[in-house]
Amino acid sequence: MDIPKKPNPVVNPWAKPFWDAAREGRLVYQRCKDCGTNIFYPRIACTNCFSDNLEWVQSSGKGTIYSYTVVESNCPSAFVGDLPFVIAIVKLQEKGVQMLSNIVGCDPKEVRCDMPVEVLFEKLTDDISLPKFKPIK
Amino acid sequence: MSNLKGKVAVIGIGEIPTGRYPETAAISYAIESAKMAIRDAGIKKDEIDYVLPTASLFSPAFNTELVTCRIVEELGLKNVKRNCQIFAGGSSSTCALEIAASLINSGGAKTILFVHADKLGTGVSLQGGIDLFSTAGISSEWEVPYGQHYSAIAALATTRYKYETGTTDEELASICVSNRKWAELNPNAFFRKPLTIDEVMASKMLSTPLRAKMSNMLFDGGAAFVITSAERSRDLSNKPVYLLGEGGAVTHFVYSQEPDVSRFGWAKAGKMAFEMAGIKPKDIDVAEIYDSYPIYQLIGFEELGFAERGQGGKMFLDGDTWPGGKVPCTTNGGMLSQGHTGAGGAVALLVETVRQLMGKAGDRQVKNARFALETATGGTYMDAQVTILGTEIP
Repeated sequence: MDIPKKPNPVVNPWAKPFWDAAREGRLVYQRCKDCGTNIFYPRIACTNCFSDNLEWVQSSGKGTIYSYTVVESNCPSAFVGDLPFVIAIVKLQEKGVQMLSNIVGCDPKEVRCDMPVEVLFEKLTDDISLPKFKPIK
Repeated sequence: MSNLKGKVAVIGIGEIPTGRYPETAAISYAIESAKMAIRDAGIKKDEIDYVLPTASLFSPAFNTELVTCRIVEELGLKNVKRNCQIFAGGSSSTCALEIAASLINSGGAKTILFVHADKLGTGVSLQGGIDLFSTAGISSEWEVPYGQHYSAIAALATTRYKYETGTTDEELASICVSNRKWAELNPNAFFRKPLTIDEVMASKMLSTPLRAKMSNMLFDGGAAFVITSAERSRDLSNKPVYLLGEGGAVTHFVYSQEPDVSRFGWAKAGKMAFEMAGIKPKDIDVAEIYDSYPIYQLIGFEELGFAERGQGGKMFLDGDTWPGGKVPCTTNGGMLSQGHTGAGGAVALLVETVRQLMGKAGDRQVKNARFALETATGGTYMDAQVTILGTEIP
């Protein structure tokens, strides 16, 4: 079977600063300057108060694994070459900031819930680097 | 709380057996199911004044035909005021039921036909199905680039749920066995041979801890139901199945943004539905809980009050949910055994709920079923939809 090319993120215009920062190796999220709510993924307006007075803030890049799975078979065809690989939901230290990612840099068998992890960036193209996470040794 | 309690009733159901029909066109599943439902209701076809087809996923062209009134014309319905698609993924049936109920109760419609037909078993390839479900409802910016797909989504819920409750893989496998016990008695189910926990545990690992036999498979299918006012329903031959309670909670679009993948919104939706119906979980005779994967059936079962959190798995293992058990659960075999037909997975469950309450469930009939609960969820388990139906109004 021909393995199709992996899908790049389809970038929404207002999320461009996130991907610009990722390209430079920084994980950022939005914070509402009116009510202080942390926002992730990037939005047009605050999810708490609708304000569009939002700022970009750099994350510590550290967090814990909320849940994970080791994908061993029957994955989307573009990812067949990566099997087995780990998909996880990571909760960052910053309140309310959580995201899907892959856990890399370790044996998939070592991954556990609530394991501490930190961000790294995997370059997909000149424009896009994808944030992934590895265990903090 | 809505004022729909006891105001409307489902009066007819139709369903073709879930299966693989490479030689037949999807429209025939819609027409056969709709004809059955109208005949079952004991009404004249031209009493139907509203048609609500839900979406078909295998073919955008076929779906456009559903949107553009093909069912109305094929059935020769002469008095249809509106044909309008209602689609909420796996929640479509429940969402349509609540919307139809409101329409009837307001006088906007008199007799509504809801229809589902899809051809995901033979209309798409196996890999095509996986690829379809690796993008449908999954964020193209925040999740698709990581290889997210529906088995992994279920696995993420399973991992966290197991971590918090100590539930075992054997208990999860027993949910598949429980559903199969019912499917053995269901002529419309695809998988009808007995299944054991060992067979589930020996099946191929998909995404840990989820194995192949813990996963639904896609098939062709169609189902329909007819709903009218409670007043009109009393003149008809079937036992009316009244809408007694309903509740819902939308919790996320992007799966990784769900606040609690080991609970979702079931407790909130269930509380609404039970308060409206004025009954309690112990009053429910049949619990038709949406499966698609065992973890969702277990979470729904517990969050809706049929077991304490972390204790439900033992009930599936011990046979409490099997035919003859004290909490009959997902009595058509669910998507795990009857088969998944897209939006139709929950349509089949709703049709089964009505079938049990009408006393037409054959070998798997739950004796003296008066009250039943039915659930549905769509997308990446984006919402929790709960309906309580009954043969009397408490």
